[in-house]
Amino acid sequence: MIKPIYIHGKGAISIQPTTEPGYFFDSILPYTQNPIPAHDPDYKALIPPLQLRRMNKSMRMAIFASQLALREANRTTVDAVITGSGLGCLRDSERFVESLLADEGQPLNPTPFIQSTHNMAAAAIALALKCNGYNMTYVNNANSFESALLDGVVYLSEHPDHTILLGAVDELGERTTEFWNIAEYLKQDRPAVPTPLAAAASPGEIAAEGSTFFVASRQPGPSTTGKVTAVETTLETDNPASFVNQFLQKNGLSTGAIDAVLLGYNGDSRYDDIYRGVSQALFAGIPCVGFKHVLGEYDTVIAAAMALALQLLREQRIPTALQLSGPQPKELARLLIYTQRRGRNHGLILVER
Amino acid sequence: MSELTQELKAKIIVQLNLEDLTIADLDDHTPLFGDGLGLDSIDALELIVMLDKSYGIKLSDPKEGRKVFETIQTMADFIEANRT
Amino acid sequence: MSTSAPIAITGMGAISAIGEDVPSNYRSLRISRHGIGPIRHLDTPHRGRLLVGEINMSNEELVEQLGIPAGEAYTRSTLLALLAAAEATMGIDLNDGSRTGLISATTVGGMDATERYYEDYLNSETHRHYIPTHPCGYSTEQMARHLGVTDFVTTISTACSSAANAIMLGARMIKAGLLDRVIVGGTDCLSRFTINGFNSLMIYTDGHCRPFDEHRNGLNLGEAAAYLVLERAELVTRQTKTPLAYLSGYGHANDAFHQTASSEDGEGAYLAMKHALEVAELDAGAISYVNAHGTATPNNDLAEGQALLRVFGAPESIPSFSSTKAFTGHTLAAAGAIEAVFSILALQHQEVFANLNFSQPITALGIVPQTTLLPMQINHVLSNSFGFGGNCSSLLFSTAHD
Repeated sequence: MIKPIYIHGKGAISIQPTTEPGYFFDSILPYTQNPIPAHDPDYKALIPPLQLRRMNKSMRMAIFASQLALREANRTTVDAVITGSGLGCLRDSERFVESLLADEGQPLNPTPFIQSTHNMAAAAIALALKCNGYNMTYVNNANSFESALLDGVVYLSEHPDHTILLGAVDELGERTTEFWNIAEYLKQDRPAVPTPLAAAASPGEIAAEGSTFFVASRQPGPSTTGKVTAVETTLETDNPASFVNQFLQKNGLSTGAIDAVLLGYNGDSRYDDIYRGVSQALFAGIPCVGFKHVLGEYDTVIAAAMALALQLLREQRIPTALQLSGPQPKELARLLIYTQRRGRNHGLILVER
Repeated sequence: MSELTQELKAKIIVQLNLEDLTIADLDDHTPLFGDGLGLDSIDALELIVMLDKSYGIKLSDPKEGRKVFETIQTMADFIEANRT
Repeated sequence: MSTSAPIAITGMGAISAIGEDVPSNYRSLRISRHGIGPIRHLDTPHRGRLLVGEINMSNEELVEQLGIPAGEAYTRSTLLALLAAAEATMGIDLNDGSRTGLISATTVGGMDATERYYEDYLNSETHRHYIPTHPCGYSTEQMARHLGVTDFVTTISTACSSAANAIMLGARMIKAGLLDRVIVGGTDCLSRFTINGFNSLMIYTDGHCRPFDEHRNGLNLGEAAAYLVLERAELVTRQTKTPLAYLSGYGHANDAFHQTASSEDGEGAYLAMKHALEVAELDAGAISYVNAHGTATPNNDLAEGQALLRVFGAPESIPSFSSTKAFTGHTLAAAGAIEAVFSILALQHQEVFANLNFSQPITALGIVPQTTLLPMQINHVLSNSFGFGGNCSSLLFSTAHD
């Protein structure tokens, strides 16, 4: 059967300064716009200019975040790279569509076409690390990272002495954001980060972007910060609380075994109730931690939640800005992440010390 | 002639996203591919598009590009000889 | 854990330029009737110039055949996928209590709708219900709903190796004990995006593609959808069913050389084929037929040819091989799946299919593909799919007959 995997390093780029050493959400950058681009680090510090020049934002974020993870894990290479992205390299897709709509029949620049291929971030990492190993990309809406994680868990059970990079990236697109506005995905009225949640929520999401990467293997090591013991997804469910409960039971756990639950409240009043229902049914009295109200919403934000979970395990406290309800935790040893997006793509990750 | 090489350098910097380079950094005779500037096959395709759009010269075979794009100077010579 | 336990293939479905189901695809292969021709349905300035492997059904005809209510947003890739998946799962009870998954692959996703309605979305309400169809994952969601698959659903997108990777993941999940049955494959329809994209890379031929020929100068694009049903072998034996074939090996590697070009010695391709043989616990000599990736680009066929020489040793040791892309065109994310179906047909009918449009071997390699239909004993087939980003995958299929 599937065994746990240990995380030895992580790196995250988001709309908060998560690349700054020691950053642990004690101060939150506020925003009043929608969408919100990720906070760009100094990419040149880790990526050579001749490579950087052609990289779109997805590729830059992915390479940078994966480099941070490798540094933390004290490694320069890995045996495999497995990634998830809900929309792939969106801006270059838009650029190429726009160029063909304007100039089809004339010569078109090939670069945006090449860059738009969904697996280019994973490919860029393989090139940078000269890694000939397994290289996979999941493009599965808001369950993309969970699929990558599950593949990683299966891969490591097949290759118990390998070390892998597991990660996710999603970037904003200009025209796509306009489409999302038209489709009423986005919060139009007074968007804000930190986003008011639950009772104070209003319709719509805050669209953001980011990339998170982890170095993982089957053995604990000197820089291990935690382990992932289970991951599961379901496309749709009439009863999210039952889905979550069955997941716990399958893993031999009662709800009391969870020290804190990270829930994907994102301030969209149409869907935040789902978390309230799960919380009331299963986790009353257990500390509840939010993350989307400071990181925004994108298909692979659950990867950032997993990075946060590992930080919680290391720091043994919940930053005030992130604790949504429940008492102060006595001890943080086992954390459950649950999220969904627009009523679909429910995802669960169990992270332990 | 040198006006064309200046123009080419400016265009190349924009077209190929050579963000950190200025016109002064690009020498007329440095090999653009391989050991010189280190451009690759995708850059070659971009240069072919640029030749067509800016100078009206069509290269139908990407292999033709290898000789033409050796250096800024060879590009300028080729354009002078073939522009429409 | 035994990696050599084969996975049984109990269903397959396919639609391509050479047939709207598996039997009609086979009939075309058998008589070397290709499906490459002028663009008929897609509205693009390249119509009249570039040749494609287009399925001769409009979206309206596909919708009608599937019985989908009018007004619902289904992109062409999804429509093709639904047809192929329906054929693959015919006669299989997906609600028999087995844990059943769906792993689909696509690169176009809903781009055919997005490019069509890109301006329209802003100006008119008429087509806005297509907005959610853009992402690759959406097509899989719609398939899962139609098929009633709930246990595990995901989407892979790794350019031209996508469907091969979906098939590989399905097998690995069965072996890991996570699933009992999984529907795996891929779909991609023609689009202006991909036609213009490959044209901008100057690797789209202006005639018929010529795989492995010295004078090849590029590919033809095609569209297709194909799915296999994979099941744990013991489950199949218990039900006293005979599988169509077995998936006994798979391999994957990254070339890590360049974003789009393959390394000259075909390192990624070589590693992928080698791993597939290792998983199957077979020597290279056991392979009777290689269904090559063979896109007919100058770069791929040279690199793949080099890799074949490295795996098999010498030109005379390479088994019969052919690229069927001169029949169907390069169907991108669907390629690994449609060619898996062709590999299984080769095993079922004990025939190697022709590599069309070949006249002169690549001088640097001296290898000659099989250019006519060849009846022969085939026990094991290797099927290659190599994509942008250096993503190389190889599948090994074995006969179910003694």
